[in-house]
Amino acid sequence: MKLPISIAINGQTRSLEIDTRLTLVALVREELGLTGTHVGCTTGNCGACTVLLDGDTVKSCCVLAADVDGQEITTIEAFSTGASTLHPIQQAFADNQGLQCGFCTPGMVLSTHYLLGQNPSPTEADIRHGISGNLCRCTGYQMIVDSVLDAAQRARESAPSASGAAE
Amino acid sequence: MGYVGKGVPSLTNTRLVAGRGQFVDDIALPDMTHVAVLRSPYAHARIRSIDTSAAESLPGVIHVITGDEVKANMNAIPETYDTGAVGAKGVKWYALCLDRARYVGEAVAAVVAEDKFAAYEARDLIEVDYEELPVVADPEAAMSDDAPLVEPDWGDNIMATRDITLGDPDAAFAEADGVATGSVRSSRITGSAIEPRGCMASYDPYDDQLTFWDSTQNPHPLRQYLAGTLGVPDTSIRVIQPHVGGAFGLKMPTFQEEPLVAYLARKLGRPVKWIEERTENFQTGGHARDTRFRYDVAYKDDGEVTGIRLEVLADVGAPTALCGWGMSFVTWYCLPCVYKIPNSETHLRSVVTNKCPWNAYRGYGKDAASFLMDRIMDHVARETGLPRADVRFKNFIPADEFPYPQVSGAMLDSGNYAAALEKVLDMVGYDDFPRQQEEALAEGRYLGLGIGQELIPEGCSMPGSLILNGSDGVEVRVSPTGDVTALTGITSPGSGNETGIAQIVADGLGCELSRVRVIQGDTESCPWGFGNYSARSIIIGGSAAQLAAGDIREKMALVAGRMLEADPADLEFSEGNVTVKGTPGQAVSFDDVASDVYRNPHGANMEETEPALEATRHFKIGNVYHQPEKQGRFSAYPSWPNGAAACIVEVDPETGQIEILKYCMVHDAGTIVNPLLADANLHGGIAQGLGAALYEQIVYDEAAQPLTATFMDYTIPTAVEIPRMELAHQETPTPFTPLGTKGVGESGVGAPLGALCNAVEDAFPDLDITLNEVPLTPSRVWSAIQEAKTGAPEREAVSR
Repeated sequence: MKLPISIAINGQTRSLEIDTRLTLVALVREELGLTGTHVGCTTGNCGACTVLLDGDTVKSCCVLAADVDGQEITTIEAFSTGASTLHPIQQAFADNQGLQCGFCTPGMVLSTHYLLGQNPSPTEADIRHGISGNLCRCTGYQMIVDSVLDAAQRARESAPSASGAAE
Repeated sequence: MGYVGKGVPSLTNTRLVAGRGQFVDDIALPDMTHVAVLRSPYAHARIRSIDTSAAESLPGVIHVITGDEVKANMNAIPETYDTGAVGAKGVKWYALCLDRARYVGEAVAAVVAEDKFAAYEARDLIEVDYEELPVVADPEAAMSDDAPLVEPDWGDNIMATRDITLGDPDAAFAEADGVATGSVRSSRITGSAIEPRGCMASYDPYDDQLTFWDSTQNPHPLRQYLAGTLGVPDTSIRVIQPHVGGAFGLKMPTFQEEPLVAYLARKLGRPVKWIEERTENFQTGGHARDTRFRYDVAYKDDGEVTGIRLEVLADVGAPTALCGWGMSFVTWYCLPCVYKIPNSETHLRSVVTNKCPWNAYRGYGKDAASFLMDRIMDHVARETGLPRADVRFKNFIPADEFPYPQVSGAMLDSGNYAAALEKVLDMVGYDDFPRQQEEALAEGRYLGLGIGQELIPEGCSMPGSLILNGSDGVEVRVSPTGDVTALTGITSPGSGNETGIAQIVADGLGCELSRVRVIQGDTESCPWGFGNYSARSIIIGGSAAQLAAGDIREKMALVAGRMLEADPADLEFSEGNVTVKGTPGQAVSFDDVASDVYRNPHGANMEETEPALEATRHFKIGNVYHQPEKQGRFSAYPSWPNGAAACIVEVDPETGQIEILKYCMVHDAGTIVNPLLADANLHGGIAQGLGAALYEQIVYDEAAQPLTATFMDYTIPTAVEIPRMELAHQETPTPFTPLGTKGVGESGVGAPLGALCNAVEDAFPDLDITLNEVPLTPSRVWSAIQEAKTGAPEREAVSR
């Protein structure tokens, strides 16, 4: 069955006819071609598919596309336009080696963005809880935690003018 | 001054943090079709018949394939670990089951459809008439005379056997002050890369070319295996490795789906994509480490271990073409690891069952061997009343006795185990710990300290293997503008070896790092190589890169010497400048030398010199001996990185919950090319080791039905469970690679098992607790505490 929906994807309004069986992650990846959002499990455990839905993180494998009609979706693609315009969170991950294979990274960046929006000065424990919905099998999390600490510091230093591309 | 030794962040970071990587599922081609695989719901069943008619009539379905079509059109998948070379039994394994399924998840049929919805729906419409067969679910039961057979042709369920004796164990046991006996068990686990497996194929009939994208570690070997299965020339297949979202050994070929997708793309003339679901990954993506040990150890009152008898019983699952069962061989091969035990007897039985086959997983069995030896050393300490560190110091192979031949035929290249242990004990505060423990106990808190010692040999090279092989190639090209391309046979699943290669090449040439571009994972452009596994990328691929860069540098020095009217031996190459030692004004740029080579091949500077700046070199690592000596022993590992870990835990006796308060490791991988990425790899290895020590276990029931099929049942650690790790490096270079590198890709994964068991035992000094089985789930720990308190065994909640 087809259903018309209208969404704002990374700031752009789009009207689409979708298959009602489609999940949000399939909409993003396969219909819109935004392949930075990844699929690791489809059971809501790994967090590789994390996107922002009206500003909140969701695991997009567990949301039906039909349910996001009228909502705003932000994916990793909104965070940079090229190698020299990385979002400060992305730059902190790149500089601190907060990734290895990069498969979980977009989800980590989204969860970090949400965390720092809620808590601009997180402790290490806050960070570990804040990203506990995102599994990483490569890094043992240490350099990710260091990246988030660095990202928080960068954001504080450039406040109040700092604004993410994703806002 | 150079780049080697600098902690440069990975060159792939920018693209990957931006979400602009290209993983296999990110590739979309016009007219692409999708595959869904029907898998056996039974651990062992005969396939009487398959009715595909309902599936085929579903709109959107293009083709349904079963074993009959596979049998008529495809060969068996070639073995990746040659069973014959080590006297093991093998099987013919096909892209789909022909008439019998041997584990839950083995591929029985597949659907190709216009979209995933149709593919999955049609898969559910295929009707298979199964006849259930007796199941082998337990490796010890599998050894009994009346056990059902996983492979009826074999006559028993034993895949591989090794028995080796060194010295005179009988005399050692007769003359010992004491003998300790026990058993140890490491659980069945899996690597769980966050990106599942997946591949895509596209066929061009006009050129007879199949392009095959795969989340694989080994493009060149995979091409051979695809060609062998399809019965086509390897030149008609191009394998491309896109970004790989973690692999850890589990993406070594060849699985059933890879040749299946290749065949379907050729047959249908349309692109075919298959992406694994997480549950399929748990059922079929390769398991590891399920090993039971028995040991007898003879010791003197001063802690010296004089003799040892070890039995290794590995449940390798169903036999296939995958190389994972070889991990059981390597477990046996490493024993008794870092210890000098003159009288040793070791036995291996690799047993098949109706479970998911093993595939390679980080540690490749070395982890389990280290775990066993840690438990034995702690047992000897307990019996003799000596401190556990002292027992280890007493029995280490001394630093001045390398190369050291171990009982299996292994030739340990180098090491200084005592220095590493001393350093880590210092880091963790070993001497001060009793005071810390006592203070905590006064507050009702139970703290324990544990030690783990790992030996993780690298650069695996097995006789006759077209994948486990100790050589690899790199081509370095310097263009007319002085820009550098390095094409490698090794690949990166995200571990950063492309960055290490670039550092080695930049130093070898004397150019800036930013000038070097590394190309990997394409059989059409990259030189022959075996890819990524066994931490071989820097030790073997890096050495090839150094050789190739050296060849080019030599030619550039010749030309630059003529340009500068200087002896090439007096030239210095650094950061893109060529200068004459002692006369800094006399200089030419790297780029101008490159330009002259290409522009003036007939000029004076190029007289009697071959044109262009391109060199391909293949490096064959030393310290590998494949000519079997008496008892059939051979040396398969050139390089023996090692490490000592120590941790402090707090245990809640009411719940059995463990919290790691401190985790330290001193690691020795010889020369470190990139300390940042080496630490990154160690963090990952340790975290996977902690997962296996505390949380992870693949569970099957008595009918060999898997009970852990999602991340909800198989719990890999999150950021909350993993502590901050403290690392230190000790560099004992190996004499067998040009830079002294030993490999770091699997390190860290072995020591947590022993260290955690030991730490939890240590937390209860007044109780006689022995934890010789991982994972240390709360129920297991709680039960052990109760048993020690009451003397009665408590019922345990953890099954096989």
